[in-house]
Amino acid sequence: MPDEPYNPSPIDNPSVLARRNWWQTMLVKFIGKHTPKCREMVRILSQSMDEPLPLMMRIKKRLHFLICCWCQRYEEQLRYMRRTARQFPEHADEASDVPFSIEMRERIKEKLAETPR
Amino acid sequence: MTAIHAPPAVRSLELDAGFGSVCKVLRTRSTYDCGKKNRADELHSTLDFVMNEIAIQSAATRWVDDHGECLYRYALVRVRKPEVAEDLVQETFLAAVRGYQSFGGRSSERSWLVGILKNKIVDHFRKLGRETSFTDMEFLSDEFSEKFVPIGFWNHDVGPHEWKPEPDEVMHRAEFWQVMRDCLAKLPEKIRAVFTMREMDSVPSKEICATLSITDSNLWVMLHRARMALRECLEINWFDTPAGGTA
Repeated sequence: MPDEPYNPSPIDNPSVLARRNWWQTMLVKFIGKHTPKCREMVRILSQSMDEPLPLMMRIKKRLHFLICCWCQRYEEQLRYMRRTARQFPEHADEASDVPFSIEMRERIKEKLAETPR
Repeated sequence: MTAIHAPPAVRSLELDAGFGSVCKVLRTRSTYDCGKKNRADELHSTLDFVMNEIAIQSAATRWVDDHGECLYRYALVRVRKPEVAEDLVQETFLAAVRGYQSFGGRSSERSWLVGILKNKIVDHFRKLGRETSFTDMEFLSDEFSEKFVPIGFWNHDVGPHEWKPEPDEVMHRAEFWQVMRDCLAKLPEKIRAVFTMREMDSVPSKEICATLSITDSNLWVMLHRARMALRECLEINWFDTPAGGTA
């Protein structure tokens, strides 16, 4: 098998499996070959936020994470964004300084008072 | 017609807001009920009703003061047009007054009101969805090619960094919310609408597709691009900065 043109594991690669010795290199190559590439993986990870992945893909994802801490981080960050985004509306007053003017306040109160229920 | 003198408890409330409407309701009710019921009973039930009305009215006035700003600023992030945002906030308060009985204090007032506003916003986009086609070709064609090496692995120099601090911590930082708002503002309008519906309003993806008349795969492409862009923007402007990273 010809060597891959790009070495996916630099020396400071923080992934669980990196090309630190012969058998790790073999394992990394094997997993790299049989799981989706990162470009595809991030698309799948995004989709998994909206509907459950098939079992085989979930297994492949786990295996891929062993050799790629970046995709693993990416997934964590998707969850991070979801968690914070859901809280955003309740903190919207901190997020901007657009004035909520006295006039607008009064208009709304007036409308509330005169509308029958 | 019976003249009703409000008891001290009622008088002590801030009456100015809804008193006119309360009196109107009172008048209709007393004439309608007159002669059918025992006078004391009628007075009693009417007074109960009035007290309730006044309580809701004064609560509503307080909501506008306490939460109006938050709701308005949120609506503005979502719809951009001040007059539309004001309408949505107003509708939210009206719906809140109508549905006050169903709010049993299960959640905080603010999250209850925000919940109503989210529904109003989804309704707004539903109307909008029929008028516009939801694609944004220029943004969607960006493949983030600089992020990946040609064979498809991450370019390790620009791959995702670790994010610190934890979500629970950043939620108390106003600067984080500002960065998030700015990053959202950079997304093209329709992509932003889709992303915020999915991630902020937690609308199921099937429902978004139906609301905006788009296909599943179209939705996934848009969400993927939005997440990629927002992730990148948050990382650069918050997590990699001293304000975010060293917190």
